[in-house]
Amino acid sequence: MKTITEDLLSSYLAARFPDWREVSASNLERLPLGASRETFRFDLAYADSAGEHRDRLILRRDPPASNVDSDRRHEYESYRAIHGHGIPVPRMILLEEDAEHFGGAISLAEDLRGYHNSEYQLQEPAWADRLPRIADELWSTMGSLAAVPCENLDLSFMKPATPETTAMQELDYWEGQMDANDVGPEPVIRAVIRWLRRNPPPPAQKLAMVHGDFRAGNFLYDDDAKLIAVLDWEMAHMGDPLEDLAWSMARVFSFGKDERRGGVAPREEAIRIWEQASGLTADPDALRWWELAMCVKGQAIWNSCAHAWSTVDDPTVIHAYAAWWLRNAQDRAALELMGKL
Amino acid sequence: MKPAVPAATRFLAGKLRDDIVPHLTGFRQGNAAMTAAMLDMLADEWDVAASRLHGENAALYALVGKCAAFLGENAPAPLDQSDLRISALTATNEALRAQLIDLHAAIEENEATDLDAEIWAFLRGTVESRRVASANF
Repeated sequence: MKTITEDLLSSYLAARFPDWREVSASNLERLPLGASRETFRFDLAYADSAGEHRDRLILRRDPPASNVDSDRRHEYESYRAIHGHGIPVPRMILLEEDAEHFGGAISLAEDLRGYHNSEYQLQEPAWADRLPRIADELWSTMGSLAAVPCENLDLSFMKPATPETTAMQELDYWEGQMDANDVGPEPVIRAVIRWLRRNPPPPAQKLAMVHGDFRAGNFLYDDDAKLIAVLDWEMAHMGDPLEDLAWSMARVFSFGKDERRGGVAPREEAIRIWEQASGLTADPDALRWWELAMCVKGQAIWNSCAHAWSTVDDPTVIHAYAAWWLRNAQDRAALELMGKL
Repeated sequence: MKPAVPAATRFLAGKLRDDIVPHLTGFRQGNAAMTAAMLDMLADEWDVAASRLHGENAALYALVGKCAAFLGENAPAPLDQSDLRISALTATNEALRAQLIDLHAAIEENEATDLDAEIWAFLRGTVESRRVASANF
């Protein structure tokens, strides 16, 4: 994989923006974020006819093999689609899809520094009294996303869906990912898939822009537990907003290793906040269907981590770690939801 | 091997976590911390993996045979666990699990509730026996 350097960035940006002078990228640092994309931060200085500028930027690069089947344009367009519609997100700056420049497509976005995104920090005693605020921010923002009318957003780059088709469309997709990234027989998850097909949920109450990975660890928050920005939109799609709620409450993300979902709040509290903000109802049977479907999605992703690790020349630690750490826990979560634990 | 592999691996995980991780930042720190966690998982697995697979394979073989008999299908090939390498035991385990998936689907279609419950009990047992100490659930 091509090494991204400050010189490479400086020369690329100088060529991309001929009006810029004295272009200088500095303090380039790779961040420990996520398993699916490479994330870097850097400082940019340049001058143009308006004067001198200094920006702080985030660079995301598509790797040769990822555990998530998405690309730079999809995430870039997702951020742009939701920007300005009441959900705080970083501003997108640039998309470069020609892999010739950096060894893979890249996007640049504003870097909102000075905030936290760690789901583990929230488990420290010092944060205990701020968790109710985090819970409110997390699930009310998710509810607000569910409430945004799809027709107000430009989602033309996304796969079409309807309230009637979205559930099976998602199940088909994630079962396909299980097949494509097979790392061994999955008797628990295959039984779950059969149950999901025998027991389809009612049509979605509405179509919404579903984030796809909305959980503790994928948003920035400040010292007062205020949510600053929602990150990681690479799995965004049109669908049933219950999907985001179900994913956020997945047992594998119970970082406190207790009943608090996301390591933040009990399940009932998460649902209450989400319902109030979205104006929707989380029908228990429909929500359970989506929670089980999210077990399929989760296992498909963890298996993709194991598959990616074993199929690339330069594997990353997080792919092996995630597969070891999560696959059996995902089975256990599925057993619980099936009433078999 | 002396010192014993689990003890040595756990020691190495601790040294990595306590002596090296704090001196790193960003991506490298994350990688080192995850490596330490993986060493701890290795320490947990080292001593029990072969025994667990061997026992699980015997139970799985019996269950697959019982399901096949109920459905009037051929009995599985005789179980050979003479090769005790984890890779060999895992290959046997995966072959039996693949058969179980097909048989479980057929058992569901036949509404054979007792066998269905037996399969779920087996799956619960195997998942519980594979729990990762550091997992969230």
